[in-house]
Amino acid sequence: MQEAIKIGLIAISAAIAIGVSAIATAMSQSRIGAAMAGAVAERPELLGGAIILVAIPETMVILGLVIAFMITGLKG
Amino acid sequence: MIQRMAKVEILGLKDVALEAIDAIHELGTLHIEDLSEKIPKLGGKRISRMEIDPKYADQVATLNTLRSKVGDMIRDLQLAVQEIPKAEVQKEYDAIWSEDADVMISRIERIIEEVEQEIKEPLDRKAELMMELSRLETYAPIMQKIQPLVERVSRIEDMASIALVIERKFKAILNYLNDEISKITEGECEIISEDVDEESTAALVVFNRRFLKQVHDFLAVQDVNQVRLPSDLAKKPLEEALAEIRARISKIPEELEKIEEHLKEATIKYAIKLIAARNAIHDRIEVIEAVPKFAQTDQVFIISGWLPEDCVEELEKVMLEKFGNKVVVTVTDIREEEELEETPVALKNRPFVRYFEIIYLLSKYPKYGTVDPTVVFAIFFPIFFGIMVGDIGYGVVITALGYFVHRKFRNKPLLSMGGYVLTISGAWTIFFGILYFELFGDLLEKALHHWHVELPLLGSKHSFIAFPINRLEAFTLMMLVSCALGFIHIGVGLVIGMINGYREGNTKHVMEKAGGLIFLIGILIAGLGLAKYIPKFFGPVGIVLALIGVVMATAGAGMGGLIETIVSAGNVLSYARLIAVGLASVILAQVSNDLTRQLWHGVFGVIVGIVVAVLLHTLAVVIAMFSPSIHALRLNLVESFNKFFEPAKFRYEPFRKTGGEE
Repeated sequence: MQEAIKIGLIAISAAIAIGVSAIATAMSQSRIGAAMAGAVAERPELLGGAIILVAIPETMVILGLVIAFMITGLKG
Repeated sequence: MIQRMAKVEILGLKDVALEAIDAIHELGTLHIEDLSEKIPKLGGKRISRMEIDPKYADQVATLNTLRSKVGDMIRDLQLAVQEIPKAEVQKEYDAIWSEDADVMISRIERIIEEVEQEIKEPLDRKAELMMELSRLETYAPIMQKIQPLVERVSRIEDMASIALVIERKFKAILNYLNDEISKITEGECEIISEDVDEESTAALVVFNRRFLKQVHDFLAVQDVNQVRLPSDLAKKPLEEALAEIRARISKIPEELEKIEEHLKEATIKYAIKLIAARNAIHDRIEVIEAVPKFAQTDQVFIISGWLPEDCVEELEKVMLEKFGNKVVVTVTDIREEEELEETPVALKNRPFVRYFEIIYLLSKYPKYGTVDPTVVFAIFFPIFFGIMVGDIGYGVVITALGYFVHRKFRNKPLLSMGGYVLTISGAWTIFFGILYFELFGDLLEKALHHWHVELPLLGSKHSFIAFPINRLEAFTLMMLVSCALGFIHIGVGLVIGMINGYREGNTKHVMEKAGGLIFLIGILIAGLGLAKYIPKFFGPVGIVLALIGVVMATAGAGMGGLIETIVSAGNVLSYARLIAVGLASVILAQVSNDLTRQLWHGVFGVIVGIVVAVLLHTLAVVIAMFSPSIHALRLNLVESFNKFFEPAKFRYEPFRKTGGEE
């Protein structure tokens, strides 16, 4: 029973790590994406830089994924 | 590598100024410096901005008019400029070009006259016919609907009729018209209507002829379209007019076809001449308009600019041959910081690295005098891409696609460069695919298992390093590899930053970058020591080194240096995306295979399974090309380049004949 609770808590923790960071990334990307879409409409030459800027907040979800993996590793 | 540039000043007697500008334009190697803004700094009232002779101003006006005429002709003839052989255009260009602008203008005017004679009339007739066709095509269905109504009305004595066309959505207005016209005609009126098509309704207002004027006046102020036939048809009976409209509609396309044929012949005959004329006009205007960028005294003109060092000799030779001692070329050194800023940058890389200059579509060129990081990008981008995608099957597809694009679009620099970068990245993908033993996900592994073939293993399942590397399980190893690559990549950036600082003679800059590097090495040693991968006493040594690094960076760049150095440790963690994106890629591939396996029952299942596998793996390849490229780019531009990159103000854009095609 205790083992099951432990595994459950680990799974929930991992889900929170990836879930919250994914939401944070999504919120940032939506704002950056909207701003960059406006900027690119005015100046199409900004497209390349815009793609990079949109990718910047992905660091959050990537670190979230890494943490989630490390947490799931705890069960072993 | 940044090409070494030389700064030159060209001084000459004013009577040969335009010829000298022409010669420089013809040579096409000098990046012109706009002296107009610097004249106040040059001192003395004797130097002023070079003015365009009023004669040349007139020529520019004429050339602009000709440019617009030629442009219209190119558009009217629908010339496919890209498909016209460049060699032939160049030959014609040479025939048109003359150092005397008036001669050139008269040659172009003759061409325009000749083309006009050939195409003006057919073009006018074509426009006329197209308009007529469109008008008749509008009339035909309306007439068809109205005709029976008119026939009914014509049998009633003393009655007049007016035809209207109304948008169907405003059909309700007919009730209003009926009420109002009834009032005018004292009830002697009726409106008959019928829908013409989905958008319009034809209506016939029938009323007593006595009220013709009043009804006309009333309708004139209402927002409704009365059907008015072309004047030549208006007086004919409706039936006859309709027959004539139909006959014309069927004849016009024939005539249009003949005109098109004629224009096609004219296109073939004049395409090269017109393109060459357009290019020559552009280049001539560019020469005249460049004049205000130069300086002058009463007797002398001054042109200043930069060109690659190995082109200086040719410039001197041409000037000497053409103008003797009337023009003097002086080479000056580029030393001062301000001059480094102003110097335009040209890159000259080896073939392997050259295609990776695609990075400068997203960034400016590096500043003159600093290190060109294209080679760093050329090494790390494909490796990062390969680590993330890491699949033999996807690698083969990406390499083949990249190579095809590179070869097929040789004349399109962006596609050619992108294709090459993809080819090299695909090769690294195959390499890492072998390390991970992945072919379209776990297809190879499952196939070997199905045929009872043993996996080629190196090391046991519990070994830290084993072959093949299972990305889903060897998380710690992959994390360490990613961070190690991050250390190396950022370290390279910091070393380049030190070199840039040294070249610029900026000791503080060198100290900041060296501090950052020592900090990173210290953190690495401390981490390895504390994790017991190396003897434990290295832990404190690493911490001391890291502190020394922080102090050096702070001494070099103040608080900015301190923050930047500490953030660089975070930058290393950003390389975790190499495994994160990789995991997404491998899981997507495995999902495709699992789905296919589940469908793999019976003939229908096999067919659907194959379709699903092809679709999902295609999607995975597309995602694999897009997402890892962005992340690999980001790691280069944000994590590494930020440590050293100083952007150039200007790219080297020589003053040369382009025909406006750049």
